[in-house]
Amino acid sequence: MIKTKIMMVTACAFGLSACADYEGGLGRGYPQDKTMDRGVDKKHLSQLQAGIWVDPNGCDHWIIDDGVEGYLSQRLDKYGKPVCSGVAPPNQTVGDFKGGSTIRDPN
Amino acid sequence: MVNTISKAIRAVASLSLVAALALQASAADAQTRSQQGRDKGVYIPTIWVDPDGCEHWVMDDGAEGYMTPHVSRQGIPVCRRGNVCGVMETDQFFATDSYRIHNAGRARLANFFQTTGAVSYIITGHTDSRASDAYNMRLSYNRANAVAAIASQSGARIADVRGYGERLPAASNNSAGGMAKNRRVEIICIR
Repeated sequence: MIKTKIMMVTACAFGLSACADYEGGLGRGYPQDKTMDRGVDKKHLSQLQAGIWVDPNGCDHWIIDDGVEGYLSQRLDKYGKPVCSGVAPPNQTVGDFKGGSTIRDPN
Repeated sequence: MVNTISKAIRAVASLSLVAALALQASAADAQTRSQQGRDKGVYIPTIWVDPDGCEHWVMDDGAEGYMTPHVSRQGIPVCRRGNVCGVMETDQFFATDSYRIHNAGRARLANFFQTTGAVSYIITGHTDSRASDAYNMRLSYNRANAVAAIASQSGARIADVRGYGERLPAASNNSAGGMAKNRRVEIICIR
């Protein structure tokens, strides 16, 4: 375990920012409860911060870059239809969707 | 005799329950490498609520994140609040069977769209249950389009225009008051 952590720290030093999130997870895997983000940016997943990504058809999706995890889920109106708001051209993102995590991530 | 039969039934029932449980267990065991970790392939999600107020299933599996909309079996999103920002009672804007908006109504609507300032709008028309389904689908769509035209003229962006006819009532059609509530045009504001 200690050895693993030392390796993680070394990996961090070399700029692999993802390392922080593996803490405690390597080798053993995670339990069935997947409702928390672990590691240095730990939080309950209800706290995620989203922006909008516009798909090539012009329709909106919630996009979240939370450190080493990425999330994407469709934006739907109350009738269950896609929301194609025109807030931005296709493929463009809007809003600070990387703002919810302190982990440095080149992309 | 009756007692013996019921005992036999119970025995069979408990046997089939055991069989079902065994089947479930083997269903997980006999799968792939992906079910052999500490979690045995069980992924328990939580809920993330998007800025519109609608729920999504979300999971964090260490270095991976997963998310998908929480919808009912009818495909309708589960939302804690809506983003319907205006419900027009059509009686105030249209004559019966008409989709022409009178001048006072036009002015009210133009003012609404000029002052609300959303990114775009989804306009949906609805009717009560009188007349045929096909007629109501057409009338509600025509009314929604009439509202959307005013929105466009006021500089608003329209994301979609739909007519749902009598198919999505907001109230019971068994009373005059309920039917009046169902005769409506809903405006969804996308922020």
